[in-house]
Amino acid sequence: MARKRIKVSNRMLLTWFILSGLIFLIAPQNLTSRFQFAFANIFRWPLGIGRNISLSARTQQQLADVVSRREYDKLQNHLANVTEELLEKHKKLDRVSGLRNRMSEFEGVEFMLAEIITASIDDAHGELIINRGRDDGLAEGQFVLGDNSVIGTISDASPRTARVRLFTDPASKTEVKIRELKTMIQGLGRDSSKVQLLSIKHKVEVGDDVYARKKPGFLDAPMKIGTITRCKTDEGNPLLWDITVKPACDVEKLNDVAVIIMNPAPRSGGVDPKN
Amino acid sequence: MHWFRFAVLVLVVTVLQAGLADIVAVTNLNVKPDLLLILLVFFAIYCNTFEAIITSFVIGFAADIILAGSPMGPRIISFGLFGTVLAYLNSVVTIKKMPYQALAIFITAFLTDALAHLLVSFRGQPAPFSVYTVIFGTSFYSSLAGPFLFLPCAWWMRIKVERPR
Repeated sequence: MARKRIKVSNRMLLTWFILSGLIFLIAPQNLTSRFQFAFANIFRWPLGIGRNISLSARTQQQLADVVSRREYDKLQNHLANVTEELLEKHKKLDRVSGLRNRMSEFEGVEFMLAEIITASIDDAHGELIINRGRDDGLAEGQFVLGDNSVIGTISDASPRTARVRLFTDPASKTEVKIRELKTMIQGLGRDSSKVQLLSIKHKVEVGDDVYARKKPGFLDAPMKIGTITRCKTDEGNPLLWDITVKPACDVEKLNDVAVIIMNPAPRSGGVDPKN
Repeated sequence: MHWFRFAVLVLVVTVLQAGLADIVAVTNLNVKPDLLLILLVFFAIYCNTFEAIITSFVIGFAADIILAGSPMGPRIISFGLFGTVLAYLNSVVTIKKMPYQALAIFITAFLTDALAHLLVSFRGQPAPFSVYTVIFGTSFYSSLAGPFLFLPCAWWMRIKVERPR
């Protein structure tokens, strides 16, 4: 008996596909992002090779007798973080404290090293997909470091991969500290972010370091996030500053990052800061 | 239509777009050719309408899947819609000469990107600050490279490409 061939008109086919596209569009992003995670997971090897080739094509020849710019920036960020920790310690000594202080010895803190599988950095996005996920103890909100500076936070995690939203992502808002001021920055895309609603009565200058504020359960001490590269009066509102912050590290040149996991559950993997 | 070859081609181009396209990016806006869009125009021109509709939506799905952080759906709809329109247009006006193919790639790229950004903005995601510059740059770059990439695609898909003189 001949099989009955189902004929579908072009119009019906187009309608079905448009409907499925609309379903994807209105579906929650944590559901649809599983497809993106799955793609990154399945093709992580060729994507990693492609990324390494792209990075190599952009890397310049380094002189043998000087430290590279990247190494210099890394050390500079470390110095800024250590200096800020020292100031925090001095402040704590002034207060009555009977509590255990877990700070620079990183007791109870684990740094989960992760490789970058794909990076999506342009004017509309600032996100990375890394090869660690929930199975490795990652969770939403954890801070991510690159070259000893904060580059973003975990925005979503599958069992084996996770998405990092950079603080330069237009949808990202991060609480920061500039000198003694507490304020917030919002991403502008690519490699900059903007300080929001800061009155000109506060003293701020180009070159000032910007620190991610400590957040209980996620970050024990302020850590450097960037530097002010532009500081002028807002054209729309002369009573406010128009401040641009550039990241402390060049994310596009990173191969791997470190995720700060506070109070990790006992498991294998990660870096023990005591070793 | 060799569907297995189509699947392999889309996978390869998707991985290339996600992993290697940055090498050929220009300017500080990271403008690079949209290989998936070039593939879309290729199938819209060289396949029949039914096949072009299917390939357009599949390529749109691939385009959405490589954009980490972006909601899925905008490119499925924009690629599918404009791929279909191009396929119908091709049945009326054949687009065989390279300059016309370049023009088709440019217009299709511009329209699909603009619609995709519009649909993304409906999801509440902010638009980039130089969105039209990036769209124009990507469309222009893709239109320059696209017609030359049709030949290896046609060879793989075993489609005869006749360029009129």
